[in-house]
Amino acid sequence: MIRIRDLLVRVGSFELPVKNLDVSDNDWVVITGRSGSGKTVFLETIAGFFKPESGSIILDGADITSLPPEKRGISIVFQDYSLFPHMTARENIGYGLKLRNNPEIHSIVSDYARMLGIDSLLDRSPAQLSGGEKQRVAIARALVVNPKLLLLDEPASALDHETRRSLWNDLCSLHDRGDLTIIHVTHDRNEAEVLGNRRIIIDGGKFVE
Amino acid sequence: MNRPDLFTSVCIFAGSLPVLLIILGLLVLTGLQVADPETFIDAILDPSVIDSILLTFTAAACSTLILFAIGTPLAYLLSRQKFPLKSVVEGLIDLPLVIPHTVAGIIVYLLCMRQGLLGLPGSLVGIRFEETIAGIIIAMLFVSVPYYVNTVREGFSRVPVRLEQVARSLGATPGRAFVQISLPLTTRHILTGGLMAWGRGVSEFAAVVMIAYHPMIISTLIYQRFNTGGLYAATAVAFVMVVFSLLLFVFIRILGGRLLSEVR
Repeated sequence: MIRIRDLLVRVGSFELPVKNLDVSDNDWVVITGRSGSGKTVFLETIAGFFKPESGSIILDGADITSLPPEKRGISIVFQDYSLFPHMTARENIGYGLKLRNNPEIHSIVSDYARMLGIDSLLDRSPAQLSGGEKQRVAIARALVVNPKLLLLDEPASALDHETRRSLWNDLCSLHDRGDLTIIHVTHDRNEAEVLGNRRIIIDGGKFVE
Repeated sequence: MNRPDLFTSVCIFAGSLPVLLIILGLLVLTGLQVADPETFIDAILDPSVIDSILLTFTAAACSTLILFAIGTPLAYLLSRQKFPLKSVVEGLIDLPLVIPHTVAGIIVYLLCMRQGLLGLPGSLVGIRFEETIAGIIIAMLFVSVPYYVNTVREGFSRVPVRLEQVARSLGATPGRAFVQISLPLTTRHILTGGLMAWGRGVSEFAAVVMIAYHPMIISTLIYQRFNTGGLYAATAVAFVMVVFSLLLFVFIRILGGRLLSEVR
């Protein structure tokens, strides 16, 4: 469970206050808002890329507000996939496991690749993958490390309608398997209505449920 | 092939001029050797010429390696961080580009002479810069800094910060994210910057000669031959240097190309 209390994030002249937000285990919270409303800044603050001015972020009872990103156990998937271009799909997915010296790296990578339908693409470089395939690799890479929380930053916005639908289905099945808490930001109202079990709108720096 | 349009023709004409200048220069130099092969053969067989070329290449390689170690973190910081007086630091890095090389030599000498800011502590631990290879390396380093740092900084700025952020979220420390993500993606710029810095070091004369006339790097030797033996004695050594440099540059380019394809 994640609890956010009296958070204030300042990036340049932009301010984002978040009074209170509780996300329970296995929740899938979809946050919408206009461009520039602070959705991505909010996610990046939870991930640890921005340090808040004040307030606290509690994850599973531990205060992670000052922890660096690598110690939070939170994975993030960006809109632009952010795959490591000098690694194959397999190396991208296995990156987090390699850092942990996980001996079962090969089988775990294969399992997630199969789940997401990219098992035949593992030896390709990101440049040889389509947008949908890249996003599946990015999602697999985020999930193999078994994160306490998955952050999705407009994961389907760069994809065509059909690929987007297919990705949503895959995300829903992964979430339905249980033990996956998601905070997902999107500017797509349709996506916000179809996905998740909670919807929040950021409006004028305020969170409205 | 289609007939080039007017603009392309102008580009071809303008672009061919600097290339032509270099080719003409090389032809003149080669012509002199053909006209007087004995002097050229003497230069090739002269151990002091070969020693001097090896010393120049080695000292420039050492200064490039030092630059890799200290210039890469600086380039990374400049591309990623905002800090007070950053533009002053950037200006200082560019300074060796705009000051006359004799001035660079004076600065290096003042720093490295026996009572200098580097020379004094150096002499306490047994390192002397005057008339030594250490002095040559420092002078080459001084004039090469902007070539390396600016090229590598450009490389780091092309690596999206998000790649490092993703690596961090997956468990990488900042150091690991740098070594495993940003550094490999900057290989091309590091090689190019290293080659430019090395070439700059090899071509330096004024800054080096102020701190170390001896041991003689190749540009000092050419200058000395010019003063003592005249133009023909100097051109023979110069030609040997050009041939060696050309061969080495081609070799490094081929090696760099192979390395890059492996990284990819």
